[in-house]
This record gives sequence, C-alpha cells and structure tokens, in this order.
Amino acid sequence: MKSLVLKDLYNIIHNSRSMLFILLFFAVVFLPSSGIQGYIYTCAILCSMMIVTTFSFDERSNWSPYALSMPVSRNDLVAGKYIVLFLFSAAGVLSGLIFGTVGSFIHKSAGVVPETLSEMPLSMAALTALAFSTVFGSISIPLTLKFGAEKGRILIFASFFIPVAVCYIAYRLLSALGIAITEPFLAVLLYGSPAIAFIWNYFMFKISCSIFSKKEF
Amino acid sequence: MTDAILQIENLTKQYPGFLLDHISFSIPKGSIMGLIGENGAGKSTTIKAALGLIKKEDGRATFWGQELSLNKNLKEDIGIVFDGINFYETLTPAKVGSISKAAYKQWNSRLYLDYLQRFQLPSDKEIKDFSKGMKTKLCIAAALSHDPKLLILDEATSGLDPVIRDDILDVFLEFVQDENHSILMSSHISSDLEKIADYITFIHQGKVLFCKPKDELRYRYGIIRCKTDVFHTIDPSEILAFRKDDYQWNVLIADKEKARRNYKNAVIDDASIDDILLLYVKGEQQK
Repeated sequence: MKSLVLKDLYNIIHNSRSMLFILLFFAVVFLPSSGIQGYIYTCAILCSMMIVTTFSFDERSNWSPYALSMPVSRNDLVAGKYIVLFLFSAAGVLSGLIFGTVGSFIHKSAGVVPETLSEMPLSMAALTALAFSTVFGSISIPLTLKFGAEKGRILIFASFFIPVAVCYIAYRLLSALGIAITEPFLAVLLYGSPAIAFIWNYFMFKISCSIFSKKEF
Repeated sequence: MTDAILQIENLTKQYPGFLLDHISFSIPKGSIMGLIGENGAGKSTTIKAALGLIKKEDGRATFWGQELSLNKNLKEDIGIVFDGINFYETLTPAKVGSISKAAYKQWNSRLYLDYLQRFQLPSDKEIKDFSKGMKTKLCIAAALSHDPKLLILDEATSGLDPVIRDDILDVFLEFVQDENHSILMSSHISSDLEKIADYITFIHQGKVLFCKPKDELRYRYGIIRCKTDVFHTIDPSEILAFRKDDYQWNVLIADKEKARRNYKNAVIDDASIDDILLLYVKGEQQK
C-alpha cells in the first residue's frame, strides 16, 4: 500500500509547481471576495481534482497490471487511491490555510479588507473543506475506474454535480415535508460533514472495489 | 514434471474471435520455459490469466502449489517484466527503487544498486530520457532485486538490439544458476529461446501444440526437403507439418535420424525453432 501512495506522490510532484501557481493566482484574485474560509474550500477542491491526473499517469505507463503483480490486492490498489485523495485534499486545506492567512495579511496591509463570509472558525473551515473535497474527489475514483482517465476528466464535473444534486433533492424533500432549513440545522449539517464524508467515502470505496474487481488488463 | 514452480492446467479464456483453449504446462525448478508462438497466439493472455490480470473461464494456475488469488504473499517470490516500462516517465531509477522497496519485504537495495551499476543506469535520470534497452534493463533490475524465485518475462526482449538482448540473456542464465529459480519467458524471438530455454511450449491459435525439452527439438526434430515423388513416399504418421515451396516440399518430422535412414533421396536438415514455428503456422498439419 505504501508503495502505491509513494508512486502517486512521486508522479504528481511534477504537477505541483503548476498547482502552486494556480493556488497563488486564486489567492490574489478571490481572497478579497471569498475570505480565507472560501479560499480554503477552493484550494481543497482543486487539489482533490489531482486524483484524476494520477489515473492518467497510471494509464499512460500501464501501471495497474504491474502493480497487481506486486504483493498487493485489487482492493489495496483502490484503497491507495483513497489515501492519496485524502492526502491531496489535506495538502489543499493546508495550502489554503497558509496562503489564505498570509494573503489576507498582505491584502489588509494594502488596505483591501477580505470578506468574512461566515463566523466559522478557521479550524472548522479546514475540517469541513477536507470533508467536502474528499466527497467530491471520491466520486471521481469509481467514475475513472469505470470509464478511464480521459473520460474521467469530463466526468469530474459529474463528481461535483452529484453531491450538489443530492443536496438539492434532500432540500426539496425536506421542504415538501414541511421541515424548515434553519441556521442551527445547517450548522449541524456542516459540523457533521466530516462524519458524513467518512461514510460517503467508505460507500464510494466499496463501489470502486466492485468496479475494479471486474477490470481486466 | 515434478517440483513444478508454476503449474498451469486447462487455462481457458474466451474473447470475441479468440479462444485460449485449455492451456496446460508446468515449469520445473531451475529451468527456463520458453513460451513461443506468433503474435496473437495467446502467450500474453496465458501469462495474464495465470497472474489473475484477466478472468479465466476455466482452469487454474498454481505457484508452488497455491493460487495467487488465495495468497498475495506468493508475489514476493515472483518478478515480472512486461514489454515496456510500467513506471511513469518522470520517475527516476532511485524513485523506482523507493517504490519497490515499499512494496516488497524482501527488497534488497544493495542488489538493486549493483544492477543499476552493472546496467550503467544513472539513478537520478528520468526514465523519459532512457532508451528502450535501458528501460528494459531497469525493469529487470527491479524484478530481480526482491530475490524472486520465478521470473516471468512477457516479450521483455522485443525491440532490443542483439547486443542488449545478449547482455540480458546472460543475466537470466545467471539467475537460473540457483536451482530453486525458474523463468517463464514469452517471446516471438526464437533465437533468444534457442539460446537459453530448457523447455519450449508452442502456442498456436490459442492452443498448446507441444511442450517439449528444447534439446529434443534441437537434436531430434528435422525437416525433410524433397521433391513431390519423395514426399508421397513419406509415412503420413511421421509428418508433423508440411509446406510446399516453389521447388520443394518441406516436411517437419520428429525423428530426423530415422528419416535419414528411410529417405536416402531426400535432404534432411536440422530444424531450428523458427523453422518449426513457421511450418506449424504457415504449413499444413497432418490430420
């Protein structure tokens, strides 16, 4: 398992410079309007998207059959991808925290006051950003395993559409049942998001394992 | 064959337009098994089915008596080299070493560095700057550095020049000096197998045509080259395959000494593995 994670990290290092540039660009452009919390979310989601790139590298080097000849199982291979997704999301959150804090300080020094979109503490913003980004990223893994990295890149939009659609349907259902979405209820949802993300990721992992078990090389 | 490291029994896989049809053979300890056949004959499919990379319809492959799917630790003792490198091109041999070290409990970093040095592979150069020969050598170094007992090579020497192939074949011969080591080598370059293989399994159109010791093919098989009148005098039970050229018949037989005694008017040549392969593939087989 460690070897699988290590391989993805080594492979992605080459993309890290361009990702760093994008994150800095976003810090300059969006930080004043979205605040640190919003910026942390953006960084986490952007970094989680890199999981599809690792599949692209794997396909180009015909990695999977070789990996399966090592002492790892098919489920290990899938689990490795979820660990890498978590690491990418965590790196995004950390970058968001660092660049966001430094960026806000610079903006304030320059007289630009960043918006504070919510009262949420930064630690909670970081935790929920990690939860959201892994939820989004976790959907792209089974999609990419099923349809390949090239189609996966297109389907990555589905990864973001599906949770949004699920939330929207849930909202409509609750409205239809006469349950009002109050601020305390939203806060519970937000603060409960890490647990929801954990369950969601486990569910996606199981789906991914099922898809990968049928794959032939 | 006793003491088989790898035993393949009735391996069957169906694709649209292709059937891998009940493939069976085994590799004894301390030997090199050459898997030969034309492109698309089923060599790679056999290896993939044995390794569990594709689902088989029937049959089984056991390594040291056990199936890989039931014991993934068996893979510690198997080194694999596919045609082409399986690491992304921005990696370096040093990083390949780190990845492999994390994968195998038996990884020997010292041995890996020795192979890199022997193959003159710079450890910090990206794979994308390597020639095909260097990439193959890197794969072989990685495959041998976790002290495997079985090396599986799927068209590993394809596309390499004769000098590099010769270097690599020497490494394989060294590997089987240990009587617990074996190699399964699929190739359509028959000269490589002629040089190092102990046994030859010939797969044609998804079926095993024969699995024999190489020396039996080399010292007993022969080709009768004769005119039509002599061809008609040959006992059909002796003919394995035949083909008519513009001026002569070429007839593959399993006992050239017997043929030399019986058909004094015919020229009887030794049969190379290439000759055998060509006659089976392009000629007709005796019903």
